[in-house]
Amino acid sequence: MSEKDFSLAVFATLSERMREDWNRRVRYDYRLWVTNTLTKNAELLDEGERDFAVFQNIAQQTKRGVALEVGCGVGRMLPAAKRIFQSVLGIDISDEAIQKARALVGNAGGISVETSSGFTLDNVADESIDYVWSFASMPHMPTRVFASYLSEIQRVVAPEGLVQLQVFLGEQAPPNEFDTLRMRAYTMSALESACALAGLQVERLEPITMPLSDCLIELGIEPVVVTCRRSQFPSSSIEAIAAALLPDGPEVYDAMAPCADFEVWLATHYADRLHSDGDFDRARGALEYVIQNCKTTTVDVSDIMQRLEELSDRRESPTMSTGVFEQNMACLRDVFPVVHSQLVSFSSTENKRAIRISGSEDGPVLWSGKTCLDHPQKPIRAAEAWVKRTYSEEAVRKSSRIMAVGFGAGYHIEALLADSSKRVSCIEPDIEVLYAAFSARDLRTVIPRLESLVLYQGEASELDCNDAQLLVRPQAIIVSGDKAEDIQRRFYATRGTQSLHPRIAVLGPLQGGTLSIGEYTTHALQALGQNVRGIDMSGFNDPYMLVPSLIRDEFKQKAARQMYIETLSAFLLESLTERPIDILICMAQAPISPKVLMELRKRGVITVLWFVEDYLRFTYWRETAQFFDYVFTIQKGRCLEEIRKAGAGQVHYLPTACNPLVHAPVELTDAEKERWGSPLSFVGAGYYNRQQTFASLSHYPLKIWGTEWPTGRPFDKLVQESGRRLKPEEYNKIFNATDVNINLHSSSERDGVDPTGDFVNPRTFELASAGAFQLVDERSLLAECFVPGEEIVTFSSVEDLRQKIEYYRDRPNERMAVAEKARTRALRDHTYQKRLEQMLEYIYAGSYKRLQDRQGTNPWSQMIEKASFDPELQRHCERANARGADPVLDGIVSEIVTGHGSLTEAEQKLLFLHHVKKQIMRMDKGGAGVKNG
Amino acid sequence: MKKRFPKKQKVLLVNITRLGDMLQSTPTIAGIKMENPDCHITVLVEKQFESICHIIPNVDRVVSVDLTFTCRALAAEGTGVIEAYEYISKLVEELKAEEFDYCLNMSSSAYTALLLNMLKIPRAGGWTADAEGYRVIESEWARLFATSVHYHNRLYNSLNLVDIFRCSADVEQHPEHLLVHVEPEAIAYADSLLAEAAFSNSGPLIAVQAGASQAKRQWSPSRFVEMIKILVEEHGARVILTGAPSERAIVEPIVEQCQSNNVISVVGKTSIPQLTALLHRAEVLVTGDTGPMHIAVATGTPVISMFLASAYGFETGPYGDGNIVLQPVIGCGPCNPNKACSRPDCHDLIAPRLVAELAIERTRGVIEHVDRERANPDEVLVYNSYFDSHGFCNLKPLNVDKSDQLFRYREAYRKLWLDDLGGFEAEDAPAIEQKPTSKLTVLDDGIEGLVDVLDCAENGLRLIEDLRSAIFDKQVPAARLREINDGLANLDREIEELGFHHGPLGALTKMFVFAKENLKGSDALDLASQMKEVYGDLARRCKKLGVYYSTIQ
Repeated sequence: MSEKDFSLAVFATLSERMREDWNRRVRYDYRLWVTNTLTKNAELLDEGERDFAVFQNIAQQTKRGVALEVGCGVGRMLPAAKRIFQSVLGIDISDEAIQKARALVGNAGGISVETSSGFTLDNVADESIDYVWSFASMPHMPTRVFASYLSEIQRVVAPEGLVQLQVFLGEQAPPNEFDTLRMRAYTMSALESACALAGLQVERLEPITMPLSDCLIELGIEPVVVTCRRSQFPSSSIEAIAAALLPDGPEVYDAMAPCADFEVWLATHYADRLHSDGDFDRARGALEYVIQNCKTTTVDVSDIMQRLEELSDRRESPTMSTGVFEQNMACLRDVFPVVHSQLVSFSSTENKRAIRISGSEDGPVLWSGKTCLDHPQKPIRAAEAWVKRTYSEEAVRKSSRIMAVGFGAGYHIEALLADSSKRVSCIEPDIEVLYAAFSARDLRTVIPRLESLVLYQGEASELDCNDAQLLVRPQAIIVSGDKAEDIQRRFYATRGTQSLHPRIAVLGPLQGGTLSIGEYTTHALQALGQNVRGIDMSGFNDPYMLVPSLIRDEFKQKAARQMYIETLSAFLLESLTERPIDILICMAQAPISPKVLMELRKRGVITVLWFVEDYLRFTYWRETAQFFDYVFTIQKGRCLEEIRKAGAGQVHYLPTACNPLVHAPVELTDAEKERWGSPLSFVGAGYYNRQQTFASLSHYPLKIWGTEWPTGRPFDKLVQESGRRLKPEEYNKIFNATDVNINLHSSSERDGVDPTGDFVNPRTFELASAGAFQLVDERSLLAECFVPGEEIVTFSSVEDLRQKIEYYRDRPNERMAVAEKARTRALRDHTYQKRLEQMLEYIYAGSYKRLQDRQGTNPWSQMIEKASFDPELQRHCERANARGADPVLDGIVSEIVTGHGSLTEAEQKLLFLHHVKKQIMRMDKGGAGVKNG
Repeated sequence: MKKRFPKKQKVLLVNITRLGDMLQSTPTIAGIKMENPDCHITVLVEKQFESICHIIPNVDRVVSVDLTFTCRALAAEGTGVIEAYEYISKLVEELKAEEFDYCLNMSSSAYTALLLNMLKIPRAGGWTADAEGYRVIESEWARLFATSVHYHNRLYNSLNLVDIFRCSADVEQHPEHLLVHVEPEAIAYADSLLAEAAFSNSGPLIAVQAGASQAKRQWSPSRFVEMIKILVEEHGARVILTGAPSERAIVEPIVEQCQSNNVISVVGKTSIPQLTALLHRAEVLVTGDTGPMHIAVATGTPVISMFLASAYGFETGPYGDGNIVLQPVIGCGPCNPNKACSRPDCHDLIAPRLVAELAIERTRGVIEHVDRERANPDEVLVYNSYFDSHGFCNLKPLNVDKSDQLFRYREAYRKLWLDDLGGFEAEDAPAIEQKPTSKLTVLDDGIEGLVDVLDCAENGLRLIEDLRSAIFDKQVPAARLREINDGLANLDREIEELGFHHGPLGALTKMFVFAKENLKGSDALDLASQMKEVYGDLARRCKKLGVYYSTIQ
């Protein structure tokens, strides 16, 4: 028999098995194999549409002529493809599937389906197809079949056509060739060389998300879409292509081997789910399918039989042996009493239904909705594979402490504990998961070996980050997304504060109220021990303001100012080249051009914008948001969305705050009380709504402070000290000397109180911190900051304001009580230090690795490392780094002062070097040099 | 001679940065050995001058420090600093291990002072620093060194730094010239160099060192050419131009323009020992104030030396008998060594012919006199070096008969310091107490401002007495103590200001300032007695200076 004949015989046998298996599966319940959950055809097509979306921008890559799906099953993706292509052809080995497909999509014009031979595209002409795709089909094929299809696809695809196949990347032992369900995975290089041999050139490989992706990744296989084009080279032999796919040898050729484990598992799992949904008949049907069709050695049929018998009796969720839970709890009480008591109080509550327990080959696993918290079939192997993969990262491998987020049923914790050189902690964000795990499995050998077990309640102090590596299981993010992300953020933020010393610069605006916020930001970062430098641009404001005195045309004024900003940006870039930074925090309206922002990002600097302005009134973020890695806003909702859409990296809400060193209660002299005080005051610029409002309050003993007020009546009487600009210290005196401070948020369009007002202005926090009593207009975000009626008094209209003025003007005790509460709250929650802590949390968590990598390039870190032979020198370097000094000798020496106590030897050595440098440089400058050497 | 630490065993001499400095310390080194034959002397030197230390007699060990490396490391950002630090740490450890009992720092730099403080050597004869990083100069001679090189006071000093340095190390016996080994192999090499030269002249062999440490101290090449032509053409001399490889650009054009087979360059062809041998072979060296000048002097070859710009012959002139020093007479000289000069007019004041003729004349013997017609004393002063009866080098003017005002100051100060610091009675010293009792009559026609300084010193003594009794008397209110303290502070400022105002008094007041800086401890009574001594020193020195000045005509 020639080799070719042999191949044909093999292919005939294999395709017969494939057809047989798939017909059976489709006959039983075709939805099970592709969709996992759905029962309605319409939903099936929706899912087909969703899955087809993994193939992106197809229309841009090929002609919109004829498309072909290899392994189309019941054809759920074909209508989606038809939206792009003139005609769509689906082929599948299973005639029963093709029959269903005709029923499902057969009526739509331009779609045709055909039964295939199982390894060739017999009825498809050469170079006739513009687009070939395959999803969740090729990985099930025996490798030789897959190789045959690669060769065939090369034949049928047009020269300019596009091929996109969903496959799995990973390393596996070769399976049995007769296993028609097993998901085969190939290495990237095997795949590429196989495609090359088939005459297809791989353009790219893109990871995608599929149903059960998490479990697959745990097993070490990753779903990808491989995109190819027809290459100039003809296809090699199928055997050669198959050999390239399987460098470790061919698949086992054993027609008598039992059927796929995966099939058994899928069906039993399907039974479990139907059962828990209360559909006992279909659950029984699923189990019967296993018994009838799956010749397997790994699942005990009698066990399934028994479950079948129990089915009708078991009305409750299939679960928990009470004995196990009690035993686990007894163990827990001794080791982690806090978690024990948390679980005890939880177990007495209702509502423990969200986590479901099902069986697997290795024991019980947990499910949250459609997500299995462990591997649904082989949790032990998956956990081991996960651990192996995470340990391939050097930092994890080297670390002696592991902090795992998510307990699941504990399989991966056990796998982590297998490495006795590591101390393992676990943080579980969801108490239900722990409760279910403790109910499902005997964990008495696991619990005592944990270094710590924590139920995360949202406090950073719960995370002991010292030296630990954080491992977050993907399932934890799916199940308890916010909390798991919170843990990650907190963890990296804490780690970052401890170990990273990024060089931060705060770039202030040229002018305006944000100027002082920039200063407070710098001070707060200093107080947080950060290596920060404030860049004050206010000195450059005068020329900016003088432009109209030179240029009359407004457009040209704008252009001139733009040029000026460009120039300032260039200065800034010079400054940041001289003294490099890692993070640039720009305050709103900071004079920096997109060009410089881009350049800084190119240098790896993390760009941050604290946009402390109304995003609807100031819209320059539309153009600039894309240049920032982080944008922090004082508004929520649409604002976050819009700025995100404009291209910003991360966008978060971060309101303004107070600086307790400036905004504080002060003792005033009588003269000061006379000058600054009043029963009723307002500090702020004369915006439209304020003019409207305060004109109507002119009969009150009201003092108005601030700029941009009209000069005529009644403001001539109300506005103090000619409406000059006040310093923060001055307006703090006004706050302190005033009985009732009015705080009316500005609006340029509306009268009085803006009913749509959302953000809280800095004044609110400043007044609170000063211990002053304020009446503030209602804002939708205010209640998050201060409890209305208790910590703050609001007004909803001018009329309401009048009533409240009347009420509070003669009630000093009530005023004081509210003001004190406001101050307490402000100091606790609303200081700039708090805000910057939060900002850093986001940045450290989001860019931890980037900062850590940069740390390596920070000359100080290298110096500190190199100075390890002299701890005192090392301390000097660390201090200099923390001060933000330049990484040169002068940077270290600048803090050494002679004549203030004895100099240590290290200090003397440093001064020695300092003087050597000074003297030699002087000699060089004098042109002295050295003679006659 | 008054001595602080006559006995020395393990000596560290810090002499880091200059070739000349190294040679200038040779009498001190020799003197220490003469007075302490069993002592061990280590020299710390900049790496590039390490080789010269091997031809310096009496040195037992040479430790070199590579400042070039250090500076290069410091110039780079980042880990260079740490490397430099590590390098210095090793040096400190190496030196500490030697357990020196005496150190002598000839450099006034802050870094050598810090280094010595780190080594914690119990006795010191030069600059050190205290634990807080302040400069400490315990030896009065070392203070005089610092005082004399201060740009205010340089003109009034006639003590060669070699002597001041020697005295700061308590060395009285010394060889009265610089010392250097002339190695036989180097002599052979020098002879071969000379043999290779195709001299047609057979006259004197004259070496010329044209380069200098700074451009402004380097006589202009055209003048050298003119001078050499006179030597070669009129006197049949053979001329060799010396220099380091870096000086090729200066020397080669000179050789070219001379266009004579009797003029050769050995620039870059000699190591320091070979250069030493060559200078030894020469009959005279014509030079600026350079390292080779000191080498020549050490080998016994007389020099005709030009002290241009910041160079000052009395200070660093050739330390030996019978050398010629040419000092231009110019209002701006000697200038600040750290400032560049774009108009070195002092160069024009020295005529090539004068230099050439002095060189030829010196080959014939010591020069006793130079006619004013040959050397106009308004433009250049010609000196001959000699040793006085106490073994201190000095310069004798050859082209003037009458001493000028500066000469009087220099002589007065010379006598003052030799007497007051060294205990060397001036030969013609009048007994101070026997002089007219009215100090005014002595001082009035003397140095302006001296009476005021004396008054201050005596006021100081009175205030110190008040302070002492106030410390003892418990009844005295604190305000009184403060008043005295303020009075002393005002006095000190006034003294210092008088020094600035009256140039010739600068050395006197600077010595006072140094003494105040070096008060030790914090005990009030102890400080008072130290201060009493300081004011007493100042008062005594004022009187002595006045008397000496009046005796010099």
